[in-house]
Amino acid sequence: MTKLILAGLRQRKLRAALTAISILLGVSMVTGTLVLTSQITRAFDQIFQSANQGVDVRVTPHTDFEGRLSAVPTLPQSIVGKIAAIDGVKRASPEIAALGSPVVRGEYVQSSGAPSFVFALEPDPFRATTLSAGRYPERSGEVAVNEGLAQQQNIGVGAHIGIATRNGVKPVVITGLVTFANIASIGGATITIAPLQDVQRWFNLEGRINSVAVAAEPGISADALARTLRADLPRTVDVSTGAQDAAKQAARTNDAIDKFLKPALLAFGVIALFVAAFIIFNTFSITVAQRLRELGLLRTIGASRRQVMWSVVGEALVIGLVAGLLGLAAGFGFAALLVWVFNELLPGGIPVAAAELTAGTAITALVVGVGVAVLAALIPAFRASRVPPIAALREGAEIPPSRISRYTPAIAAVLAVGGVAVIVLALTGGGDSTRRLLIMALGAFLVFAAIGSLSRYAVPFLARVIGWPLEHLPGESGTLARRNATRNPARTAATAAALMIGIGLVAFVAVFAQGLKASFNSALDSTLKGDLIVTGRQFGTIPAGTIGATARTPGVRAVVAAVTEQAKVRGDGTATVYGLDPASASRAVSFEWVQGSPAVLANLHGDQAVVEEQFAQGAHLSVGDAIHASTSTGRTSDFRVAGIYRDPDVFNQGFILATPTFEQSFTARDPIFLLATVDPGRDPVQVKDAVALSLKPYPAAQVRTNAEYRDEIGKRIDSILYLLYVLLAMSVVISLFGIVNTLVLSITERTREIGMLRAIGLTRSQLRRMVRYESVITSGIGGVIGIVLGVILAWVFSLGLADQGIVFSVPWLQLVVFLVVAFIAGVLAAVLPARRAARLDPLDALHHE
Amino acid sequence: MATGASGDIAVRAEGLGRRYGEGEAAIDALAEVSVDFPKGQFAAVMGPSGSGKSTLLHCLAGLDVPTSGQVIIDGTVLGRLSDRDLTVLRRTAIGFIFQSFNLLPMLTARENVELPLRIAGRTDAARVDQVLQEVGLTDRASHKPAELSGGQQQRVAIARALVSRPTVIFADEPTGNLDSASGHEILDLLRAAVDEDGRTVVMVTHDPRAATIADRVLMLSDGHVVMDRAGMSADEIYDAVRTLDSV
Repeated sequence: MTKLILAGLRQRKLRAALTAISILLGVSMVTGTLVLTSQITRAFDQIFQSANQGVDVRVTPHTDFEGRLSAVPTLPQSIVGKIAAIDGVKRASPEIAALGSPVVRGEYVQSSGAPSFVFALEPDPFRATTLSAGRYPERSGEVAVNEGLAQQQNIGVGAHIGIATRNGVKPVVITGLVTFANIASIGGATITIAPLQDVQRWFNLEGRINSVAVAAEPGISADALARTLRADLPRTVDVSTGAQDAAKQAARTNDAIDKFLKPALLAFGVIALFVAAFIIFNTFSITVAQRLRELGLLRTIGASRRQVMWSVVGEALVIGLVAGLLGLAAGFGFAALLVWVFNELLPGGIPVAAAELTAGTAITALVVGVGVAVLAALIPAFRASRVPPIAALREGAEIPPSRISRYTPAIAAVLAVGGVAVIVLALTGGGDSTRRLLIMALGAFLVFAAIGSLSRYAVPFLARVIGWPLEHLPGESGTLARRNATRNPARTAATAAALMIGIGLVAFVAVFAQGLKASFNSALDSTLKGDLIVTGRQFGTIPAGTIGATARTPGVRAVVAAVTEQAKVRGDGTATVYGLDPASASRAVSFEWVQGSPAVLANLHGDQAVVEEQFAQGAHLSVGDAIHASTSTGRTSDFRVAGIYRDPDVFNQGFILATPTFEQSFTARDPIFLLATVDPGRDPVQVKDAVALSLKPYPAAQVRTNAEYRDEIGKRIDSILYLLYVLLAMSVVISLFGIVNTLVLSITERTREIGMLRAIGLTRSQLRRMVRYESVITSGIGGVIGIVLGVILAWVFSLGLADQGIVFSVPWLQLVVFLVVAFIAGVLAAVLPARRAARLDPLDALHHE
Repeated sequence: MATGASGDIAVRAEGLGRRYGEGEAAIDALAEVSVDFPKGQFAAVMGPSGSGKSTLLHCLAGLDVPTSGQVIIDGTVLGRLSDRDLTVLRRTAIGFIFQSFNLLPMLTARENVELPLRIAGRTDAARVDQVLQEVGLTDRASHKPAELSGGQQQRVAIARALVSRPTVIFADEPTGNLDSASGHEILDLLRAAVDEDGRTVVMVTHDPRAATIADRVLMLSDGHVVMDRAGMSADEIYDAVRTLDSV
């Protein structure tokens, strides 16, 4: 039997190769994801390990929870002396890490999203950096910067640059260049090392530090020293060993990668494999149908049903194994491609360590490759086992239909309805969002599988519609193509289904993103009455000094600064708390009120809070209720609900306090953005230019008009959209191989017909056109069903997410583009099969068995 | 591309040779065959397996390329034509009838018949009706091949061969897959095409009874024409075949 399987594979080389490629690509996406995420997590491990070089123990302020936007907690610098005096401590050094971009030749360097760190200089043995030129800074106004920055900006030791700090741009001189650990790349990040007092002054941290690095006396273990310090220091600090701290910091970033990036990328791999599964299923179905006589012969000479089944499954197994192995290798290429894509699309790129092959990745590749191939071939294999021995003797024998096949349409319909129901349930139900997404994905898979199976009933109609223009071209190629496409609707449907999945998901994300943009734009229009918006060039806050600078600019009427911090709230987890000045807020912000009125916001005072509707629902709050909130440093405060507003996009996921109330309970002072209105009659663009001038000392801040900001958000959504397109493009490419495969198999099957057609006068180019048109009809069917399905899915999603402000908006032009892409895919897929068909010698073709 | 005064010759083979393989192992399937098929003649080509009768038919029809000599159809020398021109010639001047019918399963009888016209970018509903009537399938025109008997399918094939009024119809064992009654119908239709429409038919067959309907019988053996006679009776043909087989 094994011999037979291998002989079969040799005989059907092209088919085996095309099938293998489709799985290979899917496997490469899965292994590529594993390789890439391990590269990133190892890069972070290395970064944090070298950052903790020489640190036996680290003392940090105690925090109850990690707030996304919270101010970094600090310790009094005096604690360093106390720690140094403790027995067993050889050395204790204050540490500060802040964010501030270099300013070179008057230009703000870090306009990308990568962080720009400012570290306080540390003495040996705590230095995480290695000097590559010059010396470390010794007095105020001196800095060392990372070598990458110097190279990129073409500057060196002795260059005068600026550092954008909370208190404006500070002039400094470079005395040394450093490299950070042994990392291949730290992405686009920059590092500035300056004397402690400078950093403290620049970032309003006089007398305060972020943490203390401690080295132990010889002979004392880090663990022992940590125990001593724990016993001697107050409960307001945390003590951990350097290794623990590195692990904890790495875990924080790697957690985000494992919980978000990895599953997201894997999802696209799974989609690609799903598409590949369709292709394998279809290919094996066709081959089994073409091999009826051969399979019947096997039965006549004594092969059991099980052996016949195994002969088909075995073929899939070999193909899966080969595809798994090659896919593993290709995965490294895919990982490299992703790094490139990330660097192109994501500002600043990502830090990556060298790619590494692990046993786990290799096993995953093989299991996935073989698993998908074998699973997808099971139904065709079962069908093969039902071929009766008589098939060997009779031309045109058919497999007896199985008992369930009668119910296939009903089962598919139930699956489709069930899939939609699952999506709706997950959308409207509560619970963990990752789990809800998984359930929705499952629902979408059900829908795609069911529609893929049901679409055979739509094939004749769609082929007629799509084929209409082709049939009206001169010659008979169009009609023949349409008839060929519809003579086996199930085959055409399964081939088109592979493309349908890719195009469908592309259409879905396009429609969904359009809705996201539309909802954000309407939020900007309805909520933010501000004409100008000031934000950081990078993620994070902007210096508080920008508030005054903006407000003092002539032409600016009112400025509202959004200062936020996160708080734990009994009942509903983490809330984002906004501190706003009520008077200016009521002029720059306009909410839709669920309970209360604009007057409530204008007169917000004391312990009053106005709460966003979503958050109020989650925490079961209504006007008059108390909110019990605790900050990350453990302080607790109580507020009272004075009103409930609706704003799912800007001031969302929490509540608003008057600035004085906010400042009593929270430490954050730097805003994340400012909204400014201009005096009546003034041109916002002119005022914007004036504000930009006022903000000169704060290059980290950037002012934009409402329209510009909207464009910016649109671009950001687009860049994510393009990333998704790139990932989904793989599925489309895979489905292309499926079309090629089906066409090649169909042409083999119809060799004699082709011979006859050539004999009665079909020219080579007419024949090529016939194949190309059939391909285009098939891909068009996939495109049309995919786009319709994608739009419907997006509509269902937008209904489910309506309360989060997601609206349903169709990007018609893009959908037309996708349809064109589907047609182009059809033309491309036909190139090889059409050439093969045209190459057939009419005489040989006529005598083909 | 007229070559001489051959206006009444439908197909002419001049010194036709077809060699397969090279060197020692080369086999001459056809050797120096020169033969004319005048217009309005029904010729049967006979001979034992491997005699070269199919090769002759394929070369005459422009499906196979002779290694020597040339074929002239209606004054056109095939050897000088590009693949495209040859295809167009097959479309206009040649009709085919195959042993295994070779109809397109997804087209109706009528659509199969009009296929050569459509491929040429023409439509002629009246002509299609006419040939369907000639082969007696007017009432089955909307049936797919699978719904027709073997004889009916071959009648569709004849209609398809007739529809574009070709100079010559090549029939390759047209009765080979049929019972004798259906076979007779087919031969009668071919006879009628010659007698009533003035078509030229060249039919390869191994069945002496089928050959009796022809005006002329060519007997091939080892790539040579060993006999070329008109008006043979069934018995004479049987004798000739027996003689050849026993050689």
